[in-house]
Amino acid sequence: MLTVEKANAGVPANGKSDRWIPSSCSLCYGNCSILAHNVDGVLTKIEGNPESACGEGRLCAKGVSGIMTLYDPNRVNAPLKRTNPKKGIGIDPGWVEVSWEEALDIAVKKLKEVYEHDPGELFLQGTTTCASEMHCGLFTFAEAFGANAVWVGGGGIHCGSGAHQIGGLMHASWSLVPDFKFCNYAIYFGASKGHSAGHVANQNAQLAADARARGMKMVVVDPMCNFAAGKGNEWVPIRVGTDAALALAMANVLVNELGIYDQHYLKQCTNAAYLVKEDGHYLRDAATNKPLVWDETGGSAKTFDTAPVDGMALLGTFSVNGVKVQPGFQILKEHLKKYTPEYSSGITTIGAANIRRLAREFGEAARVGSTIMIDGEEFPYRPAAAIYFRGSQGHKNSTWNCVAIDLLNHLVGSADNVGGALGFNPVCHGHPETGRPYYAPEPTPDGLMITGTWMHPHKPFPANDAAAPTTIGMREFFPWAMTSPFYGAADREKWWNRFDIKRRPKAMINFGANAIMSVGNKDVVADAFKDVFIISFDIFKNEMTDFADLVLPDTCYLERLFPSPNYPFIFNHPGSMGNWSWPIRQPVVKAVGQRRDFLRVMYEIGYRMGLLEHINDAYNTHFELKDPYRLKPDVKYEFEEIVDSALKNFFGAAHGLEWFKENGVMNWPKKAEEVYWRSRTPVRVPVYFEIFKTTGEQVREVAKEFGIENDLNYNAYQTLPDWNPCPSHECKDPEYDLISFYYRDTVHTNSLTLENPWLDEAAQMNDYSYNIAVNAATARKKGLKDGDMVWVESNYKRRVKGKLKMTEGIHPEGVAVASLAGHWSNDMPIAKGKGVFYNELIEVDYEHLDPGNLNMDLCAKVRIYKA
Amino acid sequence: MPRWGMVIDLLKCIGCYGCQTSCKAENATPPGVTLARVEVTEVGTYPNVTRVNLPLLCMQCNNPPCEQVCPTKATQQREDGIVYVDEEKCIGCKYCMIACPYGARYFVEEKRGYFGDQGLTPYEEVGYEEQRKGVVLKCDYCRHRIDAGLAKGLTPGVDREATPACVINCMAKARFFGDLDDPNSEVAHLVARAQAFQLNPEFGTNPNTHYLPAGRSIVSTEPPTKPPQKE
Repeated sequence: MLTVEKANAGVPANGKSDRWIPSSCSLCYGNCSILAHNVDGVLTKIEGNPESACGEGRLCAKGVSGIMTLYDPNRVNAPLKRTNPKKGIGIDPGWVEVSWEEALDIAVKKLKEVYEHDPGELFLQGTTTCASEMHCGLFTFAEAFGANAVWVGGGGIHCGSGAHQIGGLMHASWSLVPDFKFCNYAIYFGASKGHSAGHVANQNAQLAADARARGMKMVVVDPMCNFAAGKGNEWVPIRVGTDAALALAMANVLVNELGIYDQHYLKQCTNAAYLVKEDGHYLRDAATNKPLVWDETGGSAKTFDTAPVDGMALLGTFSVNGVKVQPGFQILKEHLKKYTPEYSSGITTIGAANIRRLAREFGEAARVGSTIMIDGEEFPYRPAAAIYFRGSQGHKNSTWNCVAIDLLNHLVGSADNVGGALGFNPVCHGHPETGRPYYAPEPTPDGLMITGTWMHPHKPFPANDAAAPTTIGMREFFPWAMTSPFYGAADREKWWNRFDIKRRPKAMINFGANAIMSVGNKDVVADAFKDVFIISFDIFKNEMTDFADLVLPDTCYLERLFPSPNYPFIFNHPGSMGNWSWPIRQPVVKAVGQRRDFLRVMYEIGYRMGLLEHINDAYNTHFELKDPYRLKPDVKYEFEEIVDSALKNFFGAAHGLEWFKENGVMNWPKKAEEVYWRSRTPVRVPVYFEIFKTTGEQVREVAKEFGIENDLNYNAYQTLPDWNPCPSHECKDPEYDLISFYYRDTVHTNSLTLENPWLDEAAQMNDYSYNIAVNAATARKKGLKDGDMVWVESNYKRRVKGKLKMTEGIHPEGVAVASLAGHWSNDMPIAKGKGVFYNELIEVDYEHLDPGNLNMDLCAKVRIYKA
Repeated sequence: MPRWGMVIDLLKCIGCYGCQTSCKAENATPPGVTLARVEVTEVGTYPNVTRVNLPLLCMQCNNPPCEQVCPTKATQQREDGIVYVDEEKCIGCKYCMIACPYGARYFVEEKRGYFGDQGLTPYEEVGYEEQRKGVVLKCDYCRHRIDAGLAKGLTPGVDREATPACVINCMAKARFFGDLDDPNSEVAHLVARAQAFQLNPEFGTNPNTHYLPAGRSIVSTEPPTKPPQKE
């Protein structure tokens, strides 16, 4: 094995300096550990670091191609000031170079102005491509500044409120993955985990490949036979955006036709037994206010934490002090009856017999009741997993799509049990010497689970009470939203006026996000930004930069120092057993030009604004610093000192920055109870969503105050999951006969890597990456042929042009485009004109949001015709 | 003397293009030259369809037609089976490109970088330094890694440093490398499997690059009980 030590042993014969430097990738949020070969100051190779569990020595196509991002001659190398006051798409900003001093003066002056007037007028925007630095730099500054408006490029608002919010609620985790080492049956819904997706791409790819070789059956429900479906044992083509209808029918078959469900799991780990009154709310104990369950052994109602688990009733109707109640599971069971396979077949286009077969296969594979020994301890063994992600959740029915799919795991008890659907590392007991970092889920007084860690300061659950909004994101009114798309929405003014919100975004700090391309239709988003003073940290001048007033030349990930590129352990460790690894990111070459690191500049701006005490305090919170490593309020630190403190805080005085620079990564083994925590942790998750109903009632009250009660959609505030249509399903115009959607290409991350020529070369060699995929028979019916230039036009008359790729591997009604291509910036010449700008077809307004979590609906009703 | 060979398990390959780009990073090949590459195709008709990812590289034939046609003996086969081009001797006649039935050879016309007129990047300046123009390039199983590794007492296919770049980087661990003549090697075991195959055996080239099949049956999905409804 090539280790840092071995690689650096011996003096090169040619007298050149020759070092392998351990660091971390950041061409997606996976942050795999790397070894960078620096020869005489030039980066000559990037390989995976085999000593780290984050990648285990492998890299994806993007990771090895980082050299060409580092050395791209189109990088921004000096601060730039706008001279053309007019802003718009295609309008030359009239950049002039300024010194860093002048740039900082401009930034500080503007930010002070906003700070003194109203900190709520500052809007912060970041990219998921560099998720760790983004969270550190933006959230610490927002905290110090008192700003509350933050959104995450396109990544966040396209999936952060849907997939990740439900992941947090149900698994204390960002996302779900099959426990590949033990899983025997995985059913994917619009997901590609283990098939080159960003989350833990390398290890999951190997784990999934090994699982396939072992014989794990993989069924992929997807409108497109793409990366995952192409490797699955079975592709189940589904009408775009109807996944919940399939999942609920499968749940119905399991519960009402086959009687397959894990009673012990439902009683111990969910609220299935909680008694519910006819008004939809829990029946609570008068003395303790705790939810009650029916104890069948004693024939009486007891609080959920005092009744014997296996004595709890899941079914039946009871009378408690004259109040008629039913366990939540009884109500769920009745609710599911609506979703007969025949009914869902009409929605999804999947045959009823097939739906029954899939449900039976899943239920039988779960082996309800079985156990397995891991590290000498007995755990429930449930080798079946239902996995959702980007595709299935990116719809107006986002909340319920995720819940419906995940419900399958909770019915058979496979959630975070051996072989089942694992959250990504929601429990960590820390390094053996320090016990840090430590986090684990905890229960609310109602027994429901609060995640132990999260990327944002605000955890997905519990939600705040709904209230009249005063912020521009209006998340007070939408408490289940992790982020708000309203900053860039077409109807933002209407909503602000509805609530009499006078504040408007005045300034923005942008860290690397290209929101003009990554959110939705460019004209809508551009309109939202044209009057905002934008300070933009960029490595390229992209389409968003065209709207900036000040461009600050950022270092890229290969020129940057950061103590915790992989923490929280959400994006980068596989869910299953193995090692914990904590690598650092360090510069592998010297930054050229006047590039400066975003984090250092943000700290400097905070200092110059007089916010030092608040910034230091925010850093103390961000890095969980305890004495003696807490930053003092009145000391201006070098960034290296903060990094050193953060590392020593987690790993002791002997393991500071110098240790990490040399060794690169700290490893220690995972424990079985960290991985398979569910049966060992006294927390429950809802299968009956009283929590949403409660919010809905609050929302309705607030809406009443403002006279908008009847203008709202309350679908998300039910107690149980449903399939609800997207606007694309409701469009009645027969001319628009297809539904478009986007997917993430394996060789690209967001919009950034389109500029990388090695990746562009690979994408050009792929028939799908830059083209518009349409079912071959559908295309033939329309008189179209492979290679034709076609328009894809939405029923809102927005259109994009691209080359047609006829394929057998897509649902006859589907139109698929790889996301975030089609750059038009002249300053990204490799990317310019490559692929199709799908987001042009996306509407950004309340009508196209999940009404509860505000996740965006990413499909569109379209027609295609020859260009 | 070992006989180096590679096995690519198509069941494990996910078509990520990591082999293609890691080869590029290792060998600093110019634009248009992909000594390792991936072909993604689909097989079947809707809805009974699947994707096939086929990673390609020089097959390192035991009977290399490219060697036989080379007029200057620039293309040679080593005793360990590796077929390589001696760029000093190559005159760029391209006979080998016509002779190779696998399309594994590339002609480099000029020293041009990925950013075109914007000039070579510092990486390209270093990487292209020793490359000549007007010659043919091909995969040689990263013989520089193998030779340097062997000199250090390392084992190709076992030790990272001595193993081709595409193999060590494969995210799905779909690529295996080693001595085909060593009955105890992993590659020898894999090649001994009944399903293992060489590409186009009818060419009679007897490649040292072998494949394992994608190995999945396409499950027939029954038609919907109702036709797709018009919205």
